[in-house]
Amino acid sequence: MTALAALVAVIGGLAGATLLRRAWEDRQRERVGLIVSGWAALAGTVLLDAAWAGWVKGSAVAVAGIGLAALIVVVQGRTVRAARAARSTSLAPEPLEGPSKAWRGWLKALLAGPLGMTAAMGIAFCYATWAPGDPRTRIIVGGLLMPVVWALAMTWTLADQRLLRSLAVLLGTTVAGFTLAAMRGLV
Amino acid sequence: MSPSTVRAVLSGHGILGLAFAAIIYLVCLTGTLAVFAHDIARWEQPDAPSTTMLVPGALDRAVRSAQASGPTHATLYVSLPSRAEPEAGIIAYTPALHREWAADRNGTLTERQTPIADFLVDLHVALHLPRAWGGFIVGLTGVALLSSLISGILAHPRIFKDAFHLRRGGARRLQEADMHNRLGIWALPFHVAIALTGALLGLSTLIVGVLAMLLYRGDTAKVYGLFTEAPPAANATTAPLPPLEPLLAQARHRSGRTEPIQIIIERAGRADARITVTSRRDRLLVPQDMMIFDVRGRVVKDQHPADLALGTRMLGGIGQLHFGWFGGLPVRLLYGLLGLALCIVTSSGVTIWLARRRDRGRAVPLWERLWAGVTWGQPLALALTGITGLVAPAQGGFLVWVWLAITAGSLIIAGAAKGFDASNGAARVRHLAAISILALALVYLLTRQIGLSGMAVELALLVGVGLLLRHPATKHRREGQTAR
Repeated sequence: MTALAALVAVIGGLAGATLLRRAWEDRQRERVGLIVSGWAALAGTVLLDAAWAGWVKGSAVAVAGIGLAALIVVVQGRTVRAARAARSTSLAPEPLEGPSKAWRGWLKALLAGPLGMTAAMGIAFCYATWAPGDPRTRIIVGGLLMPVVWALAMTWTLADQRLLRSLAVLLGTTVAGFTLAAMRGLV
Repeated sequence: MSPSTVRAVLSGHGILGLAFAAIIYLVCLTGTLAVFAHDIARWEQPDAPSTTMLVPGALDRAVRSAQASGPTHATLYVSLPSRAEPEAGIIAYTPALHREWAADRNGTLTERQTPIADFLVDLHVALHLPRAWGGFIVGLTGVALLSSLISGILAHPRIFKDAFHLRRGGARRLQEADMHNRLGIWALPFHVAIALTGALLGLSTLIVGVLAMLLYRGDTAKVYGLFTEAPPAANATTAPLPPLEPLLAQARHRSGRTEPIQIIIERAGRADARITVTSRRDRLLVPQDMMIFDVRGRVVKDQHPADLALGTRMLGGIGQLHFGWFGGLPVRLLYGLLGLALCIVTSSGVTIWLARRRDRGRAVPLWERLWAGVTWGQPLALALTGITGLVAPAQGGFLVWVWLAITAGSLIIAGAAKGFDASNGAARVRHLAAISILALALVYLLTRQIGLSGMAVELALLVGVGLLLRHPATKHRREGQTAR
């Protein structure tokens, strides 16, 4: 059953990715029909696998199979060029660069690391204690929230130049989250 | 998003990637191999019995042997064979010690000795550090990977328009950037799922500890107790286990279309023994049917998927979803290939940064050499560790020191070798890695009898050698030509 689901995922992924590649190849005009068909093929593949092999199991197989199939389409359509000297400038966005002070680096590490973690825990525990439903479900969903919120905090604090704002938000979230969670407890 | 925001996010993406690149790469590489841990275990111990069924009486015979040979008061985890997983095994576990056997169809046990598979899984899960610390570092790595994925998407304003651009053979930085972005974006749901589940698995000890401190005065057992069955009342009187086959028949009968896959026996030999039979359904990611029996073989609890809270079902699925152990070989192959893609995404991220510095006249040759030492030094270190495991399977604890010495050696040599530039150095370490993998395949042929599973792994090793020896970029087509 799973082997067939994987095969369906790869075939559906190849079809969807090929349609999308054709749609985006033409940079002059929007090819809405192809774009819609491509996404529909991918979504249909996920639904088909989910209905066939089970919602979680089938979706997981479909997502992995589609990813691999799309990469096959990408590699198949690669453009090979003669090597040449690198240009000094590029059309792609460049990261912000400039002189930075050591204390800012340490503070950013503190914000993205320990403070981001405690703020994420505050939100996760707040969810685990205040959200409706079975406590086991709340704990697991809260547990899944924690790395997501921490990752978002990392992304934000490393990009934001206003460090005091980040510091205030993360500290405030930590204190509020832990206080609210301790007040409520696991009901 | 405004261009300045995109640039700021890209800057954060770079900082995070550089800070965690080596450890993300190591965790991803070992994770890719850990997907095949069971295949590797069968490869390194080809004489371990393999069977799709047990003859009548074999199960009880195997359990009695394990009870007699294992540590006293051990909990026994019995894996039942099936056509999909043709292996019967028993683990006798205590917090201090555990032993593991494979059983043949008659219930005769052979001790498992799989140091290479164990080494790989332990390296991936906790870096061979004490579990709490190692798990935290790996969990933090998962969070860093998740954050890199988020910032990578935010920093890519033309995500759809560029979705199929893969240029090879031009400027190195553009090549690597295309590879990095395409592999990162098309496998994004997989990467996110792996990073998220990995982060949660790694950080679970910390999360439970802090939650317990906040709500239960530090009593973590109360948090774990929400997800586990309360132990039966203690009764240390000696009592034999009931015959197990009738219990399996009863589990099959009561649960309908399910297949028992595991038996857990706690407090074996005592009157308060508990026997839990777990059964699988085809369409579910993890087994959710469970029957608990007491020492007389009476049903104490009969639990089916509908009885479980969503959280309990999710908890069971997190590990399976992370390792890809839920759907047989096709799923393991998908996970393996996408895991390799994640390794390339990590490696190319650093290469882009190094190439950008070089393009701007601010090259950092030491870091270029060190990164080559990490990228190609790790396959080399893992292959040489594998050779040690094949030659001295009884010295499993020694493998971590071999790996550590080769890792340190490859970094020191790469860092100190100023005689050759980074691309030459990388090619040399890559070739060394290829030779060591070839040596691993050859040592296997000299030290083991080759079977079907052995042949599959040998073939995979040879494919790996071929890919490592292949020149990375083909240059015989002109710009604008599409490889069809």
